[in-house]
Amino acid sequence: MHISEGVLSPAILIGGATLAVAGVAIGMKNLEQKEIPTIGILSAAFFVASLIHVPAGPVSAHLILNGLVGLILGWKAFPAILVGLALQALLFQFGGITTLGVNTLNMALPAVICYHIFKNGLKTGMGKYTVIICAFATGFFSVLLSGIMVGLSLYLTGEAFLPAAKLVVAAHLPVMFIEGILTTTCVLFLKKVRPEILEESHVS
Amino acid sequence: MFRKYPYNAVLFGLKYNNFCLMFTMLWLLLLPVSVSAHNVTVFAWVDGDTIHTQSKFSGGKRVKNAPILVYDFKDVLLLEGKTDENGMFSFKIPQKTALKIVLKASMGHLAFWKLQAEELGETESKTAVQPTGMKVPLVTDSGSAGIEKNVDVLESTKISLGRREIEEIIDASLDKKLRPITQMLADAMNQKPGFTEIMGGIGYILGLVGIALYFANRKRNR
Repeated sequence: MHISEGVLSPAILIGGATLAVAGVAIGMKNLEQKEIPTIGILSAAFFVASLIHVPAGPVSAHLILNGLVGLILGWKAFPAILVGLALQALLFQFGGITTLGVNTLNMALPAVICYHIFKNGLKTGMGKYTVIICAFATGFFSVLLSGIMVGLSLYLTGEAFLPAAKLVVAAHLPVMFIEGILTTTCVLFLKKVRPEILEESHVS
Repeated sequence: MFRKYPYNAVLFGLKYNNFCLMFTMLWLLLLPVSVSAHNVTVFAWVDGDTIHTQSKFSGGKRVKNAPILVYDFKDVLLLEGKTDENGMFSFKIPQKTALKIVLKASMGHLAFWKLQAEELGETESKTAVQPTGMKVPLVTDSGSAGIEKNVDVLESTKISLGRREIEEIIDASLDKKLRPITQMLADAMNQKPGFTEIMGGIGYILGLVGIALYFANRKRNR
């Protein structure tokens, strides 16, 4: 899912970086002090998740966890994912510094979109099955959308869209299911232990 | 609603739960780590008149059937090929200038390795290795050291030839001796992110949280 340096054309790098900066700005607006530790911890979880390798599927892929990050943080997923990606680029050589903007956008935007679609299903009073389905869908579709966005980034640089996107999505199919299950588990656990984390924190 | 609580209560009371929970999650994630992920490397070395390349994902998985492109220093494409089942691709040296070998793995992964002109230059003489090389060198060489001043023209050409041959022989045997080491280097190229990197990254994030909290707190107390 991380796009390496030197793959994309400068126009897309700059465009991606601009949109990523805009996303981070929205995320940092109205940042409440008590949210800072949560953002940090989810950023750390995102950072580490990329090391967990999912051996199934045609190509080796790893966990991304952007769905969970988005579901808990909303727009604040942008700064969290930016920090995680920057450290992955510097310490693990995943992705790169020039592609940081595009990669942030590719992973954080789907998370935010899924957050807005599915957040209502997680509120108190919703049936257990609604919660499970919404949580699973967030984990699943965040990765799917990220895959499509990676395909789109490659397409805009000149690769054929369908093969590129198909390959990325196919490679991440097992990851989608695992992330769906993981997100559901985390959400059910959070609802039991700290239900307010899924509701109150983000008014934006 | 946040103002209702004193800061410490939030951090140590309410947030304590949160911290514990998240750290448990982190550790659960860390435990089954089988480190291997998305980072590709390509490593190239010269052996005689051939360049070997080896391509890997971090974690050691070989990159199969991925295109390899070879450029010269002006970014002119010289040749291309595909890695085999072992992630290897070998080709004859196309020209003796600096080369840039680019691996294009799927899904936007790319890596390159640069070969300097000197690495290739070493092999230039190799094509001219003569089978008679063995007995010439040491005698002429020691002679050259001793009677450096008295040599006539004919003698000096002989000596220089001898020197060249010595170089070639040394090169050949060095190549042979160094082959396992080159292989080891190629194997070592798949840097897995280690414990240090993982902990370093988490430390950075906690540090950033600390800085953010510091500034947020300062703003609040004003």
